[in-house]
Amino acid sequence: MSTGQITAPGAPSPSGETAARPGPRSHARAGRRRTSLTTRRAISFYVFAGPWLLGFLTLTAFPLGYALWLSLTNSDGLSNNSRFVGLDNYREVLTDPETLSSLARTGIFTAITVPLSIAAGLLLAVLVNQPIRARGVFRTLLYLPAVVPPVGAALTFKLIFDRDSGAANGVLDALNINGVSWLMDPYARWVLITLMLWGCGNAMIISLAGLQDIPKELHEAARMDGANAWQSFFKITVPMLSPVLFFQVITGIIAAVQSFLPLLISLDPTPRGVSAVPEGNYLFMIHVFAQYFANGRYGYASAMLWVLFLIIVAITFLVFRLSKGAVFYSVAPEPDKPSRPRTIGGK
Amino acid sequence: MPMSTSLDRRRFLALSAGTALASTGLSACAGAAGTGTSGSGSGKTTLTVMTVEDERKALKDAEEALGMNINVILWDPTKLNAMLAAKNPPDVVRGFGATETPYFAARGLMTDLDPYFAKSSALKVSDLDPVNDVWRYDGKKQGAGPRYGMAKDYSQDSMFWYRTDLFEAAKLDAPSATEPISYDEWLDLGKKLVKRRLGKVKVYGLNATGMGVFPQLMGMTASAGGTLFAEDLATVDFSSPEALKALRWYLDYAKADIGPNVVNPNPDGWDGPTYQANRMAMSCNGYWFGGLIGADAKLAKVSRFAPAPQFGGDRVSSCFGATGFWIPRDAKNKDASWKFFEWYFGGKPAQERAASGWGIPSLKSLRANMPQTNAFQKQAFRVQEQELPHFSVLSFTPYAQQAALEGVLSKVLPGAVKSGTSAGKVADTLNSRMNEQLAQGKELVG
Repeated sequence: MSTGQITAPGAPSPSGETAARPGPRSHARAGRRRTSLTTRRAISFYVFAGPWLLGFLTLTAFPLGYALWLSLTNSDGLSNNSRFVGLDNYREVLTDPETLSSLARTGIFTAITVPLSIAAGLLLAVLVNQPIRARGVFRTLLYLPAVVPPVGAALTFKLIFDRDSGAANGVLDALNINGVSWLMDPYARWVLITLMLWGCGNAMIISLAGLQDIPKELHEAARMDGANAWQSFFKITVPMLSPVLFFQVITGIIAAVQSFLPLLISLDPTPRGVSAVPEGNYLFMIHVFAQYFANGRYGYASAMLWVLFLIIVAITFLVFRLSKGAVFYSVAPEPDKPSRPRTIGGK
Repeated sequence: MPMSTSLDRRRFLALSAGTALASTGLSACAGAAGTGTSGSGSGKTTLTVMTVEDERKALKDAEEALGMNINVILWDPTKLNAMLAAKNPPDVVRGFGATETPYFAARGLMTDLDPYFAKSSALKVSDLDPVNDVWRYDGKKQGAGPRYGMAKDYSQDSMFWYRTDLFEAAKLDAPSATEPISYDEWLDLGKKLVKRRLGKVKVYGLNATGMGVFPQLMGMTASAGGTLFAEDLATVDFSSPEALKALRWYLDYAKADIGPNVVNPNPDGWDGPTYQANRMAMSCNGYWFGGLIGADAKLAKVSRFAPAPQFGGDRVSSCFGATGFWIPRDAKNKDASWKFFEWYFGGKPAQERAASGWGIPSLKSLRANMPQTNAFQKQAFRVQEQELPHFSVLSFTPYAQQAALEGVLSKVLPGAVKSGTSAGKVADTLNSRMNEQLAQGKELVG
């Protein structure tokens, strides 16, 4: 202590001796200070976490539990004669060809749209990150489609791609080319994918933020070492951007798996309209919607949602595992608990 | 006492869970215990009505006429299902009597209106048009038993409108206003009237299904002398000769690609805009469609009404909608809802509706108000009057919603049209898939 070093009470001193315990008065004072800090921290935690937790319990945990219970019944939500059916609904989900094909279709849709929209977003981000004139205007214009509500975007696409009166076939007509039934199989899925890509401004904004966070010195150093633009992009930009891209992969997968857009570009976004969704766009969530509100199979649809929930958890876990070593965080990992005494000052 | 011991994280989580559950329970209680006089603070009753956007003005008038507040919820079958499931439905709900009554009534979700009719001076059972029978269900069939709702107006939905200018351009004789044409003649006319360019249909020859494919197939089967549903309404049979005739006709119609169908639906969702834009020669819609036509003098001049085509059995011309209102069993303000019924169905709005031409009034006493001023209106009225004796109620099943059966059709028919599958095989597939759904519904209804 005579060296001027202050050691935490009760902790061993550098010399190996235990520091002298404080007297009862100083202990009480330190205790009050500690209590006050602990209380403040606790209050802050509860004040900030409380509303979210309350919302989580009422709007997520309770509905999840209710859906789990429903999934074990044959309820149609309206009749009083529903009964407990055990795991029958889950068995049906895993064996019904229509459900499985809608799931497979959703998988393919996800596998196409997620990489495409991330790549398109990154490409646009790189472009609008260049020091060009009116950069802000380009950023705004490219982001604008992402702020259009999905219903509006879907309606626009529906009108553009209508076979008999749409603009797309109008162009073909002007070129004397036969019109195409864009909103029907086998073209409908490509219209849907285009619609998804149309909103890639979101991915662009996130990637742009990531790009602006990469220190310029890295690129300058690479250039001085003789790296060309491609090398610089793939060896510096992509690795430095990998946490941002990884975030987009996870959120993109979750959004694509739950996509509801096919119903919006159908004629009538109601249970009756489900019948107008072409088979190529009949994704898992459309099938869930049809089971709930057209077929009145609340129990079966709830089981489908639980299966989807488990699939999303599994995919997320898998992506996290597979991404180890591919995602580089510029922040140093959190150090282990200090084994040495925390000291203020020093020798 | 330090905070960490009085309210640790574990206790906090437990407390939050308790509060969340309590608030959920309380909100449910609030829903169940509502008196219906809340909201304005003025002591006025607040009536919640689920209806379409077009009705908003009429409901504003209802506030003044009835001295109550009207809370409008836009009609949404998804929301209605959720509200019914939560036992917190609107007080009055818009619906399709012809296809929805058995489904909701069999589940005990509708209020029996017979006691209200019995003591009403504004709405007398003797004055009700027979179409209101589609809002009746006795537990076994539609058209008998308690009344669960009332139609605001109706049409015989297999009738059709046609454009004389397009017929003249194609040098074709207009259909008879008195004698129904056959379905085969109808299809031939459609094929002759369609105009195409580079794989696109520029002018549809015919839309054969204004109110959905399934009801139209029901009507066609009835016209051929059969029924699609079995007597107990628990199964369908597309394999009967009469149903097969209807199915084969529809497959031919879809294959011909002369109008909106399961393979190429109309992007507008209904015929109005297409017909107005000179892009449809014949539209299978009932008298109500005349309201749209009558509002456009040029369109009215070239539009005429025709009887429902027939297959040669007994002449049948049914109603697949009979749109109106019903009062859910769990509605909180039933007496106020009935006051709304009396005003809406028997008061000024009913008279205005009857005079507008947007459907046949659901009260016999209002039939004289139907518009008969110009040539278009006179022709439509005459044709409608001659068709009325052929009206009949076709029972819909209580075991599935129309959307579910339409869903099966839209899954099966497009592939069949493209591959040219025989009607017999298509019928077998439809029977198997629809009957499976109906069986699931039957188990729940009991």
